Amino acid sequence: MMYSKAEVVQAINMSLGAMHCTRCADGFEPNEKIVNSNGELWHTQCFVCAQCFRPFQDGIFYEFEGRKYCERDFHVLFAPCCNKCGEFVIGRVIKAMSASWHPQCFRCQLCAKELADSGFIRNQNRALCHECNAKVKAEITGRYVCQKCHGLIDEEPLRFRGEVYHGYHFNCTACGTELDSTAREVKSRPGLAANDMNELYCLRCHDKMGIPICGACRRPIEERVVTALGKHWHVEHFVCAKCEKPFLGHRHYEKRGLAYCETHYHQLFGNLCFVCNQVIAGDVFTALNKAWCVHHFACSVCDTKMTQKSKFYEYDEKPVCKKCYDRFPNELRRRLRDAHENTMKKNV
Amino acid sequence: MSQSTVSCLPPKMSKAKKVLDEARETGECELDLVEKGLVSFEELPGLFNMSNITRLTLSHNKISLINPGIANLLNLEILNLSNNQLRELPVSLSSMPKLRILNVCINRLDNLPRGFGAFPVLEVLDLSYNNLNEQVLPGNFFGMETLRALYLGDNDFEYLPKEVGQLKNLQILGLRDNDLLELPREVGDLARLRELHIQNNRLQVLPPEVAQLDLLSNKSVMKMEENPWVNPIAEQYLLGISHVIEYLKTDTYKIIYNRHMQGGRSGPPPPKADKSKKASRVRA
Ligand SMILES: [Zn+2]
Ligand SMILES: [Zn+2]
Ligand SMILES: [Zn+2]
Ligand SMILES: [Zn+2]
Ligand SMILES: [Zn+2]
Ligand SMILES: [Zn+2]
Ligand SMILES: [Zn+2]
Ligand SMILES: [Zn+2]
Repeated sequence: MMYSKAEVVQAINMSLGAMHCTRCADGFEPNEKIVNSNGELWHTQCFVCAQCFRPFQDGIFYEFEGRKYCERDFHVLFAPCCNKCGEFVIGRVIKAMSASWHPQCFRCQLCAKELADSGFIRNQNRALCHECNAKVKAEITGRYVCQKCHGLIDEEPLRFRGEVYHGYHFNCTACGTELDSTAREVKSRPGLAANDMNELYCLRCHDKMGIPICGACRRPIEERVVTALGKHWHVEHFVCAKCEKPFLGHRHYEKRGLAYCETHYHQLFGNLCFVCNQVIAGDVFTALNKAWCVHHFACSVCDTKMTQKSKFYEYDEKPVCKKCYDRFPNELRRRLRDAHENTMKKNV
Repeated sequence: MSQSTVSCLPPKMSKAKKVLDEARETGECELDLVEKGLVSFEELPGLFNMSNITRLTLSHNKISLINPGIANLLNLEILNLSNNQLRELPVSLSSMPKLRILNVCINRLDNLPRGFGAFPVLEVLDLSYNNLNEQVLPGNFFGMETLRALYLGDNDFEYLPKEVGQLKNLQILGLRDNDLLELPREVGDLARLRELHIQNNRLQVLPPEVAQLDLLSNKSVMKMEENPWVNPIAEQYLLGISHVIEYLKTDTYKIIYNRHMQGGRSGPPPPKADKSKKASRVRA
């Protein structure tokens, strides 16, 4: 099918004896108007629609199987109607799904993408693009669809920039090795949601890149890194060695290569007040292998507050003020004194 | 027998009553009534209505009985009756919901009430310098799971019940100056213990399980002098506590200990100390 425009020339300087009308085969008169269409010559009265025998308006005609038709007759006789919009399809016709379509009217029935140049797949009497067809198939089989080749992925998929792929479509950014699902996606701009700059590395190259590895789970840390105890940690994996709750930025205490929350550090290593059994926040009074908060450092017999300078006696490893000690039964004081002297002797 | 009533009080307002009035005025939560010559709670009118108080210190008085009404002090956390003349304790004490520290050292307690061990949150219990022994401990005594410190020094224990091992939170166990002949193996179950006072008893051996305890850290105290230890322990003790603990771990010692416990000990048990001069022995 074609649409053409013919040219009308004046037969002036042509050697008329050698020329014939393509339709009637007669020669041409001198100075007669001659139609030239792609090198074929016609009498103007012979250059007419093969159907209605009328001249072509503006010289525009449509050709089909060697015959020329006016626009109206051509459409009536030959031009297909678009299955979508019902208009004649002039120019490029898409023949598909047992019908004709304008290229811009033939679209994927799920995502409405034009299919004229990308091809289509017939799926349950629907024309679908490759992607949609793959998705539909994947939904049925429960497998992943590669975002690159649209084929189903049989093994573990490679995850990259939020999509899934066959690993073999990619190569390690560093060494070029073909990748598989163990490949590591490296965020080029940590912390940002945009992942279009991310790159893929094979495990070996990834490990060599010095990306911090979590001291607890041994996996790379791509978000916030906590550095403590000479190691790196995922925020949620840096936990109290006793209660295993993450510190999440709260203060931690280190002891013998382990980290503890405030409560457990004090519970395990001291500084709980002997009287209130609470963590001592301010000044700590220490004596007789115990600790006291400012409010509770007192004589254990009369509860009178003592200061750092107060002199006290020891009774069962508890402090006793002089006033109280003097009120102890005589025989108890005597025994305590003897015991004290004996220890002094032993320690000499 | 005379019963003291309010009308018996001296006409002049007592010092103790003044302390109470002041506390009521200022809203003070801690009451200091040390050495006020108090004989009875009757001298503290209205005390049991002061439910806001958190500490009551009555040391160095002459109180012989605690009025059961004391249990009305629902917010009381610390009760200190050191150096009084208490012969017994009311069972109502054990129901006090916030009582964390009870100090009744230097009194004349011959027994403890039935159900005494019911304290819900008691952490420190000082019963030292009384007349207690294993026979008078109520059945639930070692049910006080919240106990951090138990002072039983200067009493008359010959044996310590093996239930002591149930005191999972115990950090301090004071048994100084008793008549102890042995310690139960269950002492080794007190995983948090860091003070063990057993000086001045009649102990010849220690259960090997004592070596499981953390008695050597810089926060720990192990007092074991003045006991008739078997020779190998006495020798190690001269070198230091750490040597004793290491020795308790040896197989040699385990054999010695087992033989001793099977009655292999020679001669009669070591004599008790003379306690007739103890103030707790005074009979009113
Ligand atoms: Zn159309
Ligand atoms: Zn589509
Ligand atoms: Zn693919
Ligand atoms: Zn690589
Ligand atoms: Zn981790
Ligand atoms: Zn913790
Ligand atoms: Zn405190
Ligand atoms: Zn004092």
